[in-house]
Amino acid sequence: MSLPQFRLLRPRAVDEAVAFLSKHGANIRVLAGGTDLIPSMRQKLFEPGYVLDLRGVAELRGIRPQASGAVEIGALTALSAIEKSQYLRQHFPVLTEATATVASPVLRNMGTLGGNICLDTRCLWYNQSLTWRKGCGFCIKKDGDLCHVAPGGTKCWAAFSGDTPPALLCLNAEIEIAGPTGSRRMPLQEFYTGDGENYRKLLPDELVARVFLPAESADYRGVYRKLRVRGSIDYPLAGVAVVMKRSNGHVSDARIAMTAVNPAPVLIQKAGEMLIGRSVDEALAEAAGDMAARTAKPLTTSALTPEYRREMIRVFTKRAVLAAANN
Amino acid sequence: MGVETADDRCRNDKSACTDKRDMNDFSIIGKPTAMVDAAEKTTGAGKYTDDLSVPGMLVGKILHSPYPHARIKAINTSRAEKLEGVVAVATGKDAPNPYGILPVGHDEYPLALDKVRYVGDNVACVAAVSEAIAEKALELIDVEYELLPAYFDPEESMKAQTDLIHDNKPNNLEKDYHHAFGDPDKGFAEADHIAEARFIANEVTHAAMEPHSTLSSFELDPHTGKLGRLTVWSSTQVPYYLQHKLSLVLEMPMAQIRVIKPLVGGGFGGKSEVIPLEIIAAVAARKAQAPVKITYTREEVFWAHRGRPRTIIDLKTGITNDGRITCVKARVVQDGGAYCSYGVVTILYSGALLGALYDIPNIQYDGYRVLTNKPACGAMRGHGTVNVRFAFESQLDELAAKIAMDPAEIRQRNLLKPPCITVNGLRVQSYGLPECIEKTVERSGWKQRHGKLPKGRGLGIACSHYVSGAANSIIRSDMPHSTVNIKIDRDGGVVVYTGASEIGQGSDTMTAQVAAEVLGCSLARVRVIAADTDLTPIDIGSYSSRVTFMAGNATLRSAEDVKKRIAAAAAKKMNCAAEELVFRDDVVFKKGSAPPPAKRDQAEEVEVTQAGASVSGRVEGQILRGSLQQKRKDEGPKEWMTFEEAVVAAIDFHGALTGTGSYAPPPEARGGKHKGGGVGPSPAYSYSAQVAEVSVDEDTGEVTVHKVWAAHDCGRALNPVSVEGQIIGSVWMGMGQALTEEMIWKDGMLMNAGMLEYRSPSSVESPEVEPIIVESIDPEGPFGAKECSEGSLAATIPAISNAIYDAVGVRMHESPFTPERVLAALRAKRKDKALNLTEGVDPTDPTRFREHGGSLCFKGKGPERHALDPARRESPAVTRGAD
Repeated sequence: MSLPQFRLLRPRAVDEAVAFLSKHGANIRVLAGGTDLIPSMRQKLFEPGYVLDLRGVAELRGIRPQASGAVEIGALTALSAIEKSQYLRQHFPVLTEATATVASPVLRNMGTLGGNICLDTRCLWYNQSLTWRKGCGFCIKKDGDLCHVAPGGTKCWAAFSGDTPPALLCLNAEIEIAGPTGSRRMPLQEFYTGDGENYRKLLPDELVARVFLPAESADYRGVYRKLRVRGSIDYPLAGVAVVMKRSNGHVSDARIAMTAVNPAPVLIQKAGEMLIGRSVDEALAEAAGDMAARTAKPLTTSALTPEYRREMIRVFTKRAVLAAANN
Repeated sequence: MGVETADDRCRNDKSACTDKRDMNDFSIIGKPTAMVDAAEKTTGAGKYTDDLSVPGMLVGKILHSPYPHARIKAINTSRAEKLEGVVAVATGKDAPNPYGILPVGHDEYPLALDKVRYVGDNVACVAAVSEAIAEKALELIDVEYELLPAYFDPEESMKAQTDLIHDNKPNNLEKDYHHAFGDPDKGFAEADHIAEARFIANEVTHAAMEPHSTLSSFELDPHTGKLGRLTVWSSTQVPYYLQHKLSLVLEMPMAQIRVIKPLVGGGFGGKSEVIPLEIIAAVAARKAQAPVKITYTREEVFWAHRGRPRTIIDLKTGITNDGRITCVKARVVQDGGAYCSYGVVTILYSGALLGALYDIPNIQYDGYRVLTNKPACGAMRGHGTVNVRFAFESQLDELAAKIAMDPAEIRQRNLLKPPCITVNGLRVQSYGLPECIEKTVERSGWKQRHGKLPKGRGLGIACSHYVSGAANSIIRSDMPHSTVNIKIDRDGGVVVYTGASEIGQGSDTMTAQVAAEVLGCSLARVRVIAADTDLTPIDIGSYSSRVTFMAGNATLRSAEDVKKRIAAAAAKKMNCAAEELVFRDDVVFKKGSAPPPAKRDQAEEVEVTQAGASVSGRVEGQILRGSLQQKRKDEGPKEWMTFEEAVVAAIDFHGALTGTGSYAPPPEARGGKHKGGGVGPSPAYSYSAQVAEVSVDEDTGEVTVHKVWAAHDCGRALNPVSVEGQIIGSVWMGMGQALTEEMIWKDGMLMNAGMLEYRSPSSVESPEVEPIIVESIDPEGPFGAKECSEGSLAATIPAISNAIYDAVGVRMHESPFTPERVLAALRAKRKDKALNLTEGVDPTDPTRFREHGGSLCFKGKGPERHALDPARRESPAVTRGAD
């Protein structure tokens, strides 16, 4: 499968990048690590006239701890750099753990944090070659007007399959979005729409520039559990992140988020809240798992049945809560 | 079992014993030897087909059918032909001759003539100056289809009355066989316990690292100026079959076609027949009047497929109270896909290889190879035996539990007593199974640990076997299956010409080792020229694990042949009888008189420099050696000669120095006379026993394999490191089928046509494998060797399944044992809330065969068609899957 023809744009600064985006509007795709974009372009999911290669924008790379205890991470920072950062491992272990499960070591060298946040939603009826998609008559996310996983539905259910966003949601992360009129900050939680087709709130002339981890989120215990068939390479079929702070044996604060079972990563507010003020035991962890499983809406977008994946959200949430309480 | 004496061997095989030295004293074989092509492959210097190009070469791209079953009403290629950069567009009419790997299965056309039979079937081929242009041109080919009802479930397909997949195959039945050996009814009457169950093994594919690639180039005929000879470079396991099928389809004499096999990045059976692109490239090259290369995308590799079919096995086994098997009855239905491929052979292997592992007095077998509208299944590592072996070994475990017998012991109670001929006509001579069981049991601590590990952890044992080459070739004849020529010239270099196809399994290394061992020369002297139909004599290919046994024997005979000539000349120089000479370490000497130590050192030195590929010293050395030879020649009779001196003496004496040898399986190994009796017989069988240790997570159903002890009887290990590699690879591939790999279908659409969603195990979950080599020294194998590449795979799946049973007490009847299937089984056992995988499917007791894999449950209507799609407007009565 050949790559479609495109012109490669290589900006050196954020302004320059944004200017390119403004100029080419819908006819441009952003390349950060390329691990998802390039295969998708070969499958003709995208045939942009221009590809904006951000890799020359040095200011978007790097992990910068602030005096306050907060951390700023450039969107272009390689996942392997995050995985290896001692500072993050010490203060934001949930992010380290989630990052270390992304794809494989080689892909983590190329893949970036921003790319993982912006990762296109995935579905077995969508991530296929042009020839294949023709065979099924296309789908609502690309070139068609039908959904194959929820027949009759008008909404796209492609699953968001990034590993780091549930960890970032637990950490109350914010992102900085650069656009032609300057940059704006928003909580990551508000970034996702919950629709598989237009899964994020990002205008065509904007890009995710930085990620901020607030000082208040530092030093939580953190655990990420990921369901996959293979121990490497696979996207999550379900993923659960838990952060927790304890005092005197009781949970003083906790948050739980999940991925790969909805068109967006989801912070399960109630599941985290029900832990607060209590000491974690099997029953409580189980209850949190039940809560999470009720929120999950897996459909047949990937291997393994939706029933099983929902069930695993329950099991993995329980295990992650217990692990966070006991480690 | 184990070591035979040299005398035993010589009694059995005269050809291998011209010198009577101890047959266990070897200088080349039996030692871990690096593959002769290792440097090329590891440095990237080696050339695979896709690395090749010739001047003026075009890129070929194939248009595939988007429908599982449709009649082609019209194809209009004119828009595509007008696109700048497109040189030719070929369609079915450009080569309307059918072919197929089996003489009984000529049902494929390079490009569809009137019908497409699966999503991915080949419709047209564009030859253009670039891949991008070729792909663009595919979009411009207008094909008008008339949709036909399609069949996806073999049991449904067998009921078809109309709209058959092939008009000459009623009920969409490719072939069925009904065999009874012994007296099955009596056998079951004698049984104290009978187990009966349905097993389902889902479909898997080879997933070789290198996608198929073919480059076809015609030469101009100097007399007519028209297209003349054809040269084809292709990633194939069977260059001669390819040459033969090209000749049929293109209506060219075989002698006008040259097939060259460059390096091949793995085959596993996926390249063991003629794959559509191999012919399409030639058809397109002929039409474009320019060389054309086609390389499949990974998706196309999945569509070309030829993998292991989904198999339903209804198995019934009877045993006595003391663990003796009295009877086995198997009804096997294979979902063969849209074309015959190797199907007839696959369904026969499934039945035939119920025999030759254990002593089973009564066997009844009913096999059905069924056509469905999916890519054709074919041969895959362990061809035909793997799925049935999974069922059989699982059921044997169940029966052992029923009579409270150790699963290792029940296997030991049912051993064959070779040499013997099984009830279904298979001749067994060497039989290392007892030692395989013994060793795995010992090394794994089976007796102390089986059934006694903490809950959630368990051990399972299973056995398997495989042929060392089919005793009957696809096209039945008495001609040799392998021929090997050797040329030795005055440079002392030994060139071996063999048609055997190196596909990564070590064929070239084995050939060099056998030649060097017989000739008593260093390995560095031997150069192997392989798999080029213009240069090398016929070898029918790398499939059914036949190369070591058959091409190895032909190499051995060829080397013996040339050695005889050298010995005759050397004996004359040394005033002795040729029989008294020993060839070893580049020296020829009289038996009993060890060569001077200095000379042995010198011989080693030569080896060192050659192994180090130091070319500069060689020219000089050769001149020196030449004068030395002349000097020594004048000296008169000698006690010993160097290999080169002996070679020069032989050239002086005979003129040209060449040898030839061939191998055809002996008539007594060619099997019974019953219909279908030609498949299954082999000159020798390999044996394997394995113990797997697994743990099962009872909340998630995830299975982790911790270690596999795998003993394999390969006759004699010519290259132990290579044998170990093959054992480890087999276990790993078997583990893939056991736990993670399956092709998932929905209404004929392959849902996971890529390496991301088709999940072969990664290095992370690959367990420690302890390979144990068992050497039974086969009387007919080259130096006693048998196969080692396929036999081990089949044992892995039931070993893991039996270990799951030991760990958590559930018996898996459907593979792969994905976490959800295991969890569903655990829940069913605990009588917890059921986990609904797919309607009516219980992995411990599957009753129905579903059109798509159990891991993916589509409760919807299946693929709707696009608004503009004729399929949607006409809404034909397409048979939906059984879900």
